[in-house]
Amino acid sequence: MIELNYRDSRPIYEQIEDGFKKLIIGNVLKKDEKLPSVRLLATKLSINPNTIQRAYNELESKGYLYSVPGKGSFVNGITKVDEEKIKELIDEILEKIKELKYLGMTDKEIVKILTEEMG
Amino acid sequence: MIEVNNLVKTFDGFRALDGVTLKVENGSVYGLMGPNGAGKSTLIRHLLGVYRQDEGDVVYDGEKVWENVAVKSRIASIPDDWFYFGQATVKDMCDIYKGMYKTFSIERFKALKDAFNIEENKTIKYLSKGMQKQVAFWLALSTMSDYLILDEPVDGLDPVMRRRVWSLIMDDVSSRGTTVLVSSHNLRELEDVCDHVGIMNHGKVVLERSLSELQDNMVKLQVVFKEGEEEPTMDGIEVLHDSLTGRVHTMIVRMCPESAVKAVKKYDPMLVEAIPLTLEEIFVYEMGGLENEIKNILV
Repeated sequence: MIELNYRDSRPIYEQIEDGFKKLIIGNVLKKDEKLPSVRLLATKLSINPNTIQRAYNELESKGYLYSVPGKGSFVNGITKVDEEKIKELIDEILEKIKELKYLGMTDKEIVKILTEEMG
Repeated sequence: MIEVNNLVKTFDGFRALDGVTLKVENGSVYGLMGPNGAGKSTLIRHLLGVYRQDEGDVVYDGEKVWENVAVKSRIASIPDDWFYFGQATVKDMCDIYKGMYKTFSIERFKALKDAFNIEENKTIKYLSKGMQKQVAFWLALSTMSDYLILDEPVDGLDPVMRRRVWSLIMDDVSSRGTTVLVSSHNLRELEDVCDHVGIMNHGKVVLERSLSELQDNMVKLQVVFKEGEEEPTMDGIEVLHDSLTGRVHTMIVRMCPESAVKAVKKYDPMLVEAIPLTLEEIFVYEMGGLENEIKNILV
């Protein structure tokens, strides 16, 4: 379910966090579906259970998960807006636009592509 | 909880341990690292109650370990020179462990047989080095002890077996709250399994942190300032290390990644990018000036 990449420079908890985000956004993990227990994931990935707990806590504080004491963590669906992530993605788009301009595309062409994509 | 207070051990006038102080909380996995000869194995022999300290204490949940059978029977260990009787088979050593550890679980021993896939009636002496290590793990994990003390434990194990062993240990940590102290030079591996790390050097613990503190408090930045402008002095930013390749600064900064980027952006650089540090890099920077030493050797 979650794959760790040891050549990735991101810390492990972040890789786990991003991995679950992707699964939730891609609707692979549906609303109210139970996530694997900390113990199961720690054993499977052979990493420290606290690292997994940290990833789960981050996801919960960002609104992707909710936890039921004694039961585990569940998918919340996307209810809360992850402002931080939105800002990060916008920055990424702006970065790419800069690159496209450098490669010789005009503003008009870029806008055209974007409007086509949006429908 | 394991507490070591100001431990001193002298061999022939050489202070192998020079006031070691460390603390391992229950249910935590503590990684001990340090250069060769830093005193890791000596410390571990004190933790196991094998060596008698000159000064200081080694205390488990408030009780001293030296000559204390009750405490020692709660500690399973894999020292660097694991002992077995000359002609003993796996089964013989299992019986010896059963006598030493009240908590020894024969069910667990049988269940783990599948994981290790070694015949019980094999004489340990005739097994390969890696397989002997597996037997040590098999027995240590069967003791169901509260504490697990490991000295370079996965040396000599193949990659599949390493993962399997760590999985078993992590399962114990999450299900029974086993407290683990492990020394290793494989920092990549420590990063996965530990939540706390201690760095030893010259018989002292020079740094002791939780892994999340380490990751949140130190970051590598790549910064390029605008051409022709004077380089800023970076007031209020603690730069541990700064090297310049072309126009790209690589800085190690003692700050959390977000605020470091924010702080540098004030100087209006052309590019600033935060790159997380690996445990290996932290080790190198904390040990200080390793790069310089290598340079000197090369010259």
